[in-house]
Amino acid sequence: MKRIRPSRWSGQLLQARCGAGIAAARQPFLLAARSQSTSSAAAHDSSTSTTTPIDSPPPLPAPSFSRAAQSAKLAALHARLSLSKKIPLQTLARALVTPSADANPNFNNTNLAYLGSTIVNYHVLEYLVCKWPRLPMAILYEALRAYAGDASLQQVARRWGVESAAAPGEEVDPGLLQWKAGEEQLVNTRWGYVRSDKAPAWRRGLSSRVVLDNDFGDQVSSIEAEKPEFDTLQSEAFGSVVQAVIGAIYTHCGREEVKAFVKSHILSRELDPSTLFEFKLPTRELAMLCAREGFEAPVARLESETGRLSRTPVYVVGIYSGKEKLGEGAGPSLDVARRQASMASLKAWYLYSPGNKVRVPSDMMEEGAKPWKAPYIDIGEII
Amino acid sequence: MDLRSLLRPASQLLTPLRCLSSGPRAVTAAVSLPLTSSRGHKTTARTKRALKISPHDSFLPSRTTEFPAADSIIYNPPASEASPSHTPFIFLPRNDPRRLAITRLRSTANVDPTAYNSQAANGELPPEMRYKRRQPKYNLTKEHIEEMRRLRNEDPLTWSVQKLARKFECSTVFVQMAAPAPPEHLQWLKGKLERKMERWGPKKTAAREDRKRRAEMLYRGEL
Repeated sequence: MKRIRPSRWSGQLLQARCGAGIAAARQPFLLAARSQSTSSAAAHDSSTSTTTPIDSPPPLPAPSFSRAAQSAKLAALHARLSLSKKIPLQTLARALVTPSADANPNFNNTNLAYLGSTIVNYHVLEYLVCKWPRLPMAILYEALRAYAGDASLQQVARRWGVESAAAPGEEVDPGLLQWKAGEEQLVNTRWGYVRSDKAPAWRRGLSSRVVLDNDFGDQVSSIEAEKPEFDTLQSEAFGSVVQAVIGAIYTHCGREEVKAFVKSHILSRELDPSTLFEFKLPTRELAMLCAREGFEAPVARLESETGRLSRTPVYVVGIYSGKEKLGEGAGPSLDVARRQASMASLKAWYLYSPGNKVRVPSDMMEEGAKPWKAPYIDIGEII
Repeated sequence: MDLRSLLRPASQLLTPLRCLSSGPRAVTAAVSLPLTSSRGHKTTARTKRALKISPHDSFLPSRTTEFPAADSIIYNPPASEASPSHTPFIFLPRNDPRRLAITRLRSTANVDPTAYNSQAANGELPPEMRYKRRQPKYNLTKEHIEEMRRLRNEDPLTWSVQKLARKFECSTVFVQMAAPAPPEHLQWLKGKLERKMERWGPKKTAAREDRKRRAEMLYRGEL
């Protein structure tokens, strides 16, 4: 039994627990006014500003949302993504403010990004599970990361034309990404179960990763052991923009729109899952697979060879189970070729796909969907 | 090209006539100055004729039907590595449409079209490779194992894993599982190996490390 330690949580999560942030977060964020809002903001929407006059107000950490309508960059991004008219420019501006620039959850993109990340991960995962039902869990995690991880989302954001500001600030164009590195992480953007520090390494098996850790099977630690690198923080910031935009689409336009958006911007990217594999003992794994499935034991057969006495021979080995061929591989020695062939056979098993056009559970949400036919579900990994 | 092909037979006709009409001195002149320049047989044969190969049957339209043949698909992919995205027949789940289709094809066609080559279609498989693999015999009883353990405990030096495996006709892995050596003997063996590894020079150490790295690369699919 693990103990949750709120004392170790930081920032937003803790605030939400105390009830400080919640009341503000429930408000529509367009109406929420910052207590230290500037005179220019007050001039634009004097009806909502309930500020106490301060002689020299400190500058805002990020550009005010009231300037969003004047930003050409924001309008261009809105048009480039062909977003619906229902999504206001102010929401898009908020999606570009990361918690590293503005720690206030009413003005940064944390909430939208979290909502977006759940939507992205759901759609990618259901697609992966239906498309390649036999992928092992570790490969499934990596495939999910390849589609919806921060590094991939950063590439998506860069292709959208999102650029970061040199430094976040009030005077910056709201169409630029507001983020800075090297700051203390004030806001908790990670979600998952914090494990006990004293748990030995063997406690972190794959099944416990499914239950306890975050969507990508990564451990959530309460204390940041070492400071994350610049690249990590940057991809996190850019990735949060994509997630926040997706969250905004869901908020303003609904389920179908967001599914189409995820499909065209994230699932359309190409991934070859056969490159993700790393085997340990492929010959043994294949033998165990055949034993489990009731096939005849795999036998390696030499299909062809050339240059046995030369410096660079090539052997082509096929793996057969009875009379059925499972796979073939070529290599410069008999042993390497046999191992290659075993790996090819295992990949042929793991990468079974029912077809290119698989139906996913969320297809049933559409109007007039055909009756659901259960997808192929594999019995599990080879142990 | 056309002119030369016409000229050459003509000159071949003329040459014997001229040989007959003139004396031996003229013959040598005719040989040294032929009517047409006859290029070496080797060049044309190598560069033109030998390269004129009729296309492989798989490129030609199917001739099984009568002459005004229906549209046929020419499927002739280049030789390449087998892709794992082509799931083998027995790996297909029971209700997969591909499995049903292949089963139907196999039952109707004489020659199995899903077999990878003609040999396999005829039931001839390529030769088996010889390598160490599991060949269970199940020939040992409880008494055998007790005897094995006794021998190993009494004198682990003489009754090594290899020797026991040969005596009881089982695999070395089985001996290691069923009759592990006493811990002090294992410790001694480990120390012996460590002393041996210390004596290795830089080349041997590097070669072994490289081999390990190569194996890892192979398993990652980078080789």
